[in-house]
This record gives sequence, structure tokens and C-alpha cells, in this order.
Amino acid sequence: MQEIAELTFLEQLAKRSKLPVPEHAVIPLDRKTLKSLLDSWGKAVIKPDILAGKRGKAGLVKVVENPVRAQQEINRLLNTEIGGKMPRTVYLTRFIPAELEIYTAITYNSSFLGLSLTISLKGGMAIEAVEEKDKRTIPVDVYQGLDAYQASQVLSDLQCPKKLISPFSRCLVDFWDFFITSGMRMCEINPWRVTPAGDIFACDFKATLDDSNFKARNLAVTFPEYPENITPFEEEMKELAASSYQGQLHVSDLGGEWVLPILFGGGASTIIIETLVNSGGSPIFLSDFGGNPTYDRLRQAAAVCFKHYLKKAALLLILGGKANNTLIDVTFQAIGDALVQEAAESGPLCLPVVIGRGGPRLAKGMTMIKETLETLHLPYVIFGYDTPVTLVAEYAARLAKALAHLRKP
Amino acid sequence: MRAAQLSDLLQKGDRVAVSNITGRESGKVSIISQRYCGNIVGGWALGKGGQTIEFEPGKSIPVFATFGDLLKQLPKKHHPNKVIVYSPPDAVYGEIKEVISFGKKRIETIFIITEHVSIEVTAKIANLAREAGIDIIGGNTLGMINTYDGVRVGAVGGDTPGESFRKGSAAVISNSGNMVTTMATYLLSAGIGTTFGISTGKDVLILTPMKDFLALAEKDKRTKVIVLYIEPGGGYEKEAVEMMRREKFSKPVVVYVAGKILESQNVSLGHAGAVVEGLVASASAKMKLLDDYFGADCFDPQRRYEMTTKLRDSLRRGIRIQTLHHLPQAVSFVFRAHDWERDFSPTGTLTLNPWFVNLGELGKKLPVPLILNPGTIIEPYAAQFAQLAESKLGKLVTQRNMRNASYASGNDGQATTLYGYSVAELMKRSTFAEALILQWLGELPSYPFEARLVEMCLLASLSNGPGTISAQGAKLSASAGNQPHTGMIAALACVGQVHGGNGKEAIEYLLKVFGQTGLEDPYDPKTPGVDLDTLVSQEASAFKNQKAVAQESGTSYAKIPCLGHPVFKDKDVNYDPREEALYGYLQEQSLFNVFLEFYRRLAVTLKRIGATSKVLAVNVDAAIACVWLGICWKFLKEKRITLQRATDLPLVAFALGRAAGAAGEFLDHEDHGTDMDMRVPTSECEILTKPRDLPA
Repeated sequence: MQEIAELTFLEQLAKRSKLPVPEHAVIPLDRKTLKSLLDSWGKAVIKPDILAGKRGKAGLVKVVENPVRAQQEINRLLNTEIGGKMPRTVYLTRFIPAELEIYTAITYNSSFLGLSLTISLKGGMAIEAVEEKDKRTIPVDVYQGLDAYQASQVLSDLQCPKKLISPFSRCLVDFWDFFITSGMRMCEINPWRVTPAGDIFACDFKATLDDSNFKARNLAVTFPEYPENITPFEEEMKELAASSYQGQLHVSDLGGEWVLPILFGGGASTIIIETLVNSGGSPIFLSDFGGNPTYDRLRQAAAVCFKHYLKKAALLLILGGKANNTLIDVTFQAIGDALVQEAAESGPLCLPVVIGRGGPRLAKGMTMIKETLETLHLPYVIFGYDTPVTLVAEYAARLAKALAHLRKP
Repeated sequence: MRAAQLSDLLQKGDRVAVSNITGRESGKVSIISQRYCGNIVGGWALGKGGQTIEFEPGKSIPVFATFGDLLKQLPKKHHPNKVIVYSPPDAVYGEIKEVISFGKKRIETIFIITEHVSIEVTAKIANLAREAGIDIIGGNTLGMINTYDGVRVGAVGGDTPGESFRKGSAAVISNSGNMVTTMATYLLSAGIGTTFGISTGKDVLILTPMKDFLALAEKDKRTKVIVLYIEPGGGYEKEAVEMMRREKFSKPVVVYVAGKILESQNVSLGHAGAVVEGLVASASAKMKLLDDYFGADCFDPQRRYEMTTKLRDSLRRGIRIQTLHHLPQAVSFVFRAHDWERDFSPTGTLTLNPWFVNLGELGKKLPVPLILNPGTIIEPYAAQFAQLAESKLGKLVTQRNMRNASYASGNDGQATTLYGYSVAELMKRSTFAEALILQWLGELPSYPFEARLVEMCLLASLSNGPGTISAQGAKLSASAGNQPHTGMIAALACVGQVHGGNGKEAIEYLLKVFGQTGLEDPYDPKTPGVDLDTLVSQEASAFKNQKAVAQESGTSYAKIPCLGHPVFKDKDVNYDPREEALYGYLQEQSLFNVFLEFYRRLAVTLKRIGATSKVLAVNVDAAIACVWLGICWKFLKEKRITLQRATDLPLVAFALGRAAGAAGEFLDHEDHGTDMDMRVPTSECEILTKPRDLPA
């Protein structure tokens, strides 16, 4: 899912969208330029460009009036982390004095099995914190879209000042058009600020594109690279996963130390990780390699996992439920070959392997991996699908703990 | 919803059509489904109209170019009422529009298996289906199974649906496809079977939401309890609980909610997505919501519950489990509260039951509770493992896409390699025969004499005179005015099971004879691990008995492959001179090949015990087979090559030699023969059918 932050919107999308936005400028800005901007704007809002919400709440959105203060804030924000993420850059927008702030979001909604528009006149705060009576969520027909009449009805219902209903309804229709033509999954403008003169500006923006939507794929936007705190392992796996849709290759580093888990099936991998964590197994990452990946994809994925973590791990866990579709011989041969490759490249391996699986071509798959483990002289315990994955995970966690204890000097 | 009860979504008699049926996954799953329940009437795939998918010998599923064609060409009584969509994500919208447009009032349910369909398309499909009165399951569902009717759509139950889904009283409904089968399997241990297994799908928009499934399950008479697996995302459970409270839902629900532990890890899971649903979509929120509805904390198997009226009342609504393997106990607990009988005898308790354990030295260092002993392998797997273990030889491999991949050769733009060795270097240092062993087995020969034997086999295969069928093929081709390579192809086309291909049968025979012995080194004349004389007499006696029985009953019997030759057959003791040359070389060099030795002794013993009237020649096919099996034996023992490869090599070796020989035959005929000289004159052709007049 590609996320879009406000600066990308201001720089590349705002003009296409017809949405009214305040002027903006991006650092580096010399003192003279900064002064001239502030002279022209009166006040500026300084914000970090970061893919994280709740910047305001974290004190990272600052209104400044003079260049010295502006420079101080720029320096501070550039070096401030939010939610474990660092900003890519810092930018300024013209301060918009407001009589009213409005929250809007268009998103797909499970209640309507379609699209919905949410509006609140209590803009500028998290929508979850807004009382039910102060917000409205209405369904929007995906074919017909949002019309000005529908928008004006919601605004009237929320007691929106009458003079604003017509111009803001037009803004909402433009907002809808922008949303639906961009292949978005979610888009939030919070807040819209309405000046005493009645001018409306979209003063913050965040959106998520639906990668599966061709409109999003063809959006012709250059997405900036944000400093990500993903590990080199995640980065490598991300690239591999993006290379094809055939089978899942999902991993997320969990910072654990003992169990290297090669897991199958979205549901199974979640409950296995939960069990490992609850049982003190310290899983190194979360993985889901289900969906019948091809031999090549899984061998490459397993090789990446082994390259990064096999030496560190106390135990290798290969675990999934009873597969409906995934061919066990294919997946086990891929993992076995990756193990052999890792041993050839990094020297002999010495960690136990716990396996649990069921599914098509199980006997052949288990025989193959068993032979590989014997060739590599790796100790193993192999379970069938009659032992629940959660019990296997509990056992693996206990075994990993004991091994970690044995390793201690 | 169109459906009024779960069976309306899928039941016996439903006729299923499959989109993109020729795809990798859809084709495979359709074959298994068709064998299981035979409910697929056809499939369609663009550009593949007219093909068929064989699911059993002589039985196949027809493939049409489009859904419209399927309806046009199938008889009306076979028109589908259910559709499974396996099309690629960008094609799903078009496919469903076509199904709705052509199938209005015929199609009742569409199952969308495809992953990664855009949410906008999913929302549009929801609209279209609502207007058309069609139920949509998914997207990203695995399908569903109706246990009582023994029918399924999609891959629920894997390749053996009957193994996990036995008739019973639980409806399993899960956001995760894998968990449907897994939970159904766990329930068996408590003696509880299933009515239905349903994968709801796990996209952001689940087009048949949980509340609808629950309402349908409530109306199903056989369903007593509903088992749910729930992931974070969406407000589906909130709606479901509101419905259950409002309607005073009458059936207990046992539920597992996944994903809580990961809430703090910034990891996205399940179908989480929509911003306005944040407060109800998390795993924690769903747990609390359900616990509040049940009026009880989650199930604790360690706790001694007293079945009070309050508890009984709470269990009538259901209970949440904290760990998946508590499911059988929790469902049994609910059964007890209702005074229900189990569906059948429990298949056992859920415990650690390792199938294979080899902790080696590590086992000595571990605390005792962690050292497990191998348990019982359930059937049919125990039998399958036993069968696999019987085969001591050969590597098990699995197939993969090899379009642009090769172990055998490589070319990185700089150098060509054979199994990693530079061809240029091989040209400087190796013989053709050595390189051939490398190319066919992945390693250079272990002993120098192996290359010499291979070379002799190639020589032996070059020709056996112009009358052989393969030589005739080359000559016919020359006579027709073809190019030399076509002559070689013609000769190879004339190599078959009874000419040149007999070596394959010889290998199969030798593997049967020696496969179960402890033979280590086929080149060791002491034959450790094998009592050669006993093996020979056993095989000779068995053959004699089999021949006698067959002769008495007038039936045919299996001959020993590669014993006897159509030319070298008239003496009391017969030899194929090419085999003699090979055997002579071995003797000269004080070498030994246990397989060739076996063949020779067998031929003599058969004559001695009266099974044959003469000592039959061990023919050249046998000799080639023995040479190659000798070379392969080490690879088979070490499971580095497949049995298939070892079995194929004698034929390949013969064909290689014979193709070269055929070139010689072709060139000779091209130089000296006349055009069409191979034609048989009409005067020499016998007409076996009387002339007839065409009907008027």
C-alpha cells in the first residue's frame, strides 16, 4: 500500500485535483527567502514530511511568525522522530486563519460494503475522538459518486453554517473526483480550514493508494523515498515479494532472537507467532509464505531468511496448518535446498529444526526434508497436522529457551 | 441475501462453472474437486476454448473460450448455477460482468477466489450482484464445503476433503481459508464433525459479511454450534454481535480472534484498512465485543467449571478461546452445557505427536520433558511413508518451472558450462565420454574405466547392420531425398520399446532384483551385501515357475528383459558379440560389474534348470543397461539422481550411438542409392481388403 503524505500531495497532486490548498515552500530556504515568505504570509505552519499520523498531537506542527523562530523549528523538526520514523524533509505552508475546521474522509467501509464519506465539523482532531453526534458517515455509490446535493444534506445535518454549504459541497465533490480517479483506498483531509472571508483550504492530507487498482498504478507520481526504519532483511524480502504475486512472501521483523520461523498461511502464521511470543520463544520475525509460492520464490525467500538470521537463531521452525493448496513437497524442497545452499556458503549449521505441516503431497515433502536434515546432520522433530500448530509452537518456544540457556557461557 | 440457508450457497446438484480453469491453481483444484464430488460442468479461459481438463482416465472437464460460449454449448440441464472466479485480478471485473449479464436468473452464487482484486472493483461487484440478486462469497475466499452433501467449491479440504470434513454438527466459518480445514481437523479429536466449512475471504470488503453467514447457519437444521476464526479489520463482528443480540441468536458460537499480540508491533494483518472503523476493527476490540456478548471470559481448560445456570446460559451464546488447540475442549464444553451427544467417537486428544524425531547428540543435553519419542503416524500417511522408505534408491524431487533454468548447463555470456564445469576446460582435459557422464549425471566419472565403458556402449550402438529398423528409417529418409539430420531423426523415430528401448526394462528389472539388497559397490567382485548365486537361482526358479504356469493355462508370461537376440540365437550357448566385447574388456582389465555378471549367470542357470532350451544371449541392450546402472549406483544410493533418470539412461545412450550410426547409413545411401529406391513395388504389396463402392 503506497501512502501519500501532504507534501507529495501539494507538490504533485493538488493542481490536478482542483482542491484549494495553501501556498507552500520546502527547505532548504535561505534566511532571505524565509523572511520574504513570512513577510508575505504573515504566519507559516512548519511541518515535517513524514509517513506518520498525529503530527499535531506530537507537537510537530508549529505556527511561526519570524524567520529566526522558523529556522529553529525547522532544525528541531528535522531531527525529531515520530512513531519510530524520521522526517524526509520539512516544509512550510501559509498559515490559514480559520473560523471553522472540518474533517473529511472517503474510505471503503465494511458496513456498506462500499464507499463512505465521513464529515465532522470538529476538524483538526482524530476522528475516533469525535463524539458520534458530531460526525456523519454516509454511503457513496461507487458508480454514481458523490453529488453536491448529497454532500449539502450531510453538511446541513451537521449544522454547517449556511453560507458554507454550497462552496464546501463543491469542494467535497472535487474531493470525491480526486479520490475515485486516483485509485485510492482511503483519503483524509483534516482539517479543511475556512477563513473568516469564507475561503476554504485543504490544510492537511493523507491517503493510501490501492496497489491493485490500475488507476493508482498509472498515477504518474514520483513517490519520494522516506527514511524507513525497516531492516535490510525486510528490505530484501520486500523486493522479492514485489517481484511476483504468486504466493505470499510477507515478513516483519519482530526483534526476537531465538526462533527463526518459516510459516505458512496468513491465519496460521498469526496464531503461531502469538503462541511463540506468549510462550517466550522470542521469534525473530513474522512470516507468511503461504498461497502456494513457486519453488523458486520460496527458495529465494528462505535463502534470504537464512542468510540474515540462521547463524543467530537457536531454532528453525517450519510450521503451517493443513494446507489446502500449497504443495508440501515443493515448499519443503525449496526450504531444504536453501538450507543446503546456506550450509555451503556459510559453513556447517548446528541448530535443531522443528517442523509441523499437513497438506497435499505431505509424505513426499516430509521424506525429502528429513533426508536433507539428515545430510546436514541437523537434529529435528517433525509433526504432522494431527498436532495443532499452537502446540508445536509452544514446544518450539520451550526448546528454543532451553537451547538459548545451553548457549550461555 | 438470496440464500435463505447455508445449503443454498452450496448443495448436491449444484452445477459449477470455473473461470480461468486452465490456470495453475484452478486447474489443479478443479481436478481434485471433480474427483471428490463431480460438480463442475465446465470452465472457461480466453483463447483456450475447445481444450479439456482430464480428471480421470477418459473423463474430462470441457473448456470454453468465454462464459457466453459455455452457456451456448452446454445443454440446458448442465447450465451452471454457481461460478468460481479464478481469473487474474485485472480480469475479475470483466468476468463477473459477463457472468451477471449472461447468467442473470441462472447464477445464484459467485465465489471469488482471486486475490489482489482492487477494492473499487470489489465495491462495484457488490453493487452489480445486489441488483442481480446474486450472492458473492469473497473476494479472496478459498471456497466452501457442504459436508453432508459431499460437495465443495474451491480448495477447502485440500486434496483430501473427506479427511478433515466428517458429517457432524459444527459450521466452521473463517476469515482464513487454511483455518477452515485446520479447525475442522481439530474438532474431529473431540468427536465433532462439520456441517459446512466456509472461507469468508479476507479482503478489506468481505462481500458476504459475518452476520449474514451466522443468520444462514442459524437456519441450518444440522448445525448446532458455529465455530469462527476472526482476524482484525472491518466492523463485521460488531454488526454480527448487534444482529445476534437483536435477534436473540439461538445457536452457540465458539470463536478464536487472532492478531492481538501484534497490535503493538506495527504489523498489518488480516483485512484491516478502513480509517473510520479503527475503534471496532482491532483484535482487542473484537475480543471484548464477543466476550461481552457471551457474558463470560475466554475458555480456560485448566479451570474447574461448575455448570451453574448462569454459566449454562452464557454457553448457550458461546465462548471465546485463547489458543486454537483449546477448540475441541471448548466445543465439547458447549456440548455438555446443552446436553448434546458427540457426533462420533473422538479420534483422540490433541497432544504433541511427533512423527519423526532425531535429536542426535543434542538430545543428551536437553531437559527430559523436551525429549520426545516418535508417536503414531496417522493413516494414510504411515503407509505412504512406509512405501517411500522401501525405496532405498533414488532422489525424491519435485517439479518446478524450468523454462529458463537448468542445472545441466549454463551460459553467462562469457562461458558455457556443464554442471558448473567450463566446456572450454573440458575440451582441453576430458574425453567426450567423460563429458557425457558429467552431462547426464552431474559429476565426472568416478573411475577412468567408466568413460571407456561408455565409449564402448556408444560404439556398440552405432549399427547392427542395414536391416535394423532404425537403419531402415535412415535409409528411407535418404531415399525420399531428405537432409542428413532428418535421416537421423527418422532413425531415432524408429527406436522404440522393442528396438533399443529394452534397456529401460532391463534397468527396471535389475532395480527390482538389487533394489532391496544391501549392494554397496557394484564393481566389487566380492559383492558385499549380495549373495549373487542365491539371487540368480531365485530369479531363475521364479521365471521357470511363472513360465510353467503360463504354458499350462495358455496365457502369456513376462520375459526377462534383454535376454535373447533375434540374430544371435541358434547355438547352444549364445552371445551377442557386442556384449561379449564389453564383458571381455572387463575381464582383461580385471574389472567386475555385478549386474552384467548376474545376467550372464542367469542365462546359464535358466538353461541348467530347464527354463530355456539354450543359453540365451545377454543382448547389447542389457550390457548397456548394466554399464550405466554400474555408473549410476553410487548416485542412486546417495539419492543424488532419480530412479527415473537411471532408468532412462540406457535408452538415451543407445539412441545417441544409433543416431550417429544412422548418419553413416544415410550418407551411404545418399551417395550410392537412387531416389525412391526404398519404395516397395505395388506387385509386392498384398491387398487384404476387397474393393468396395462408395454409398450413393
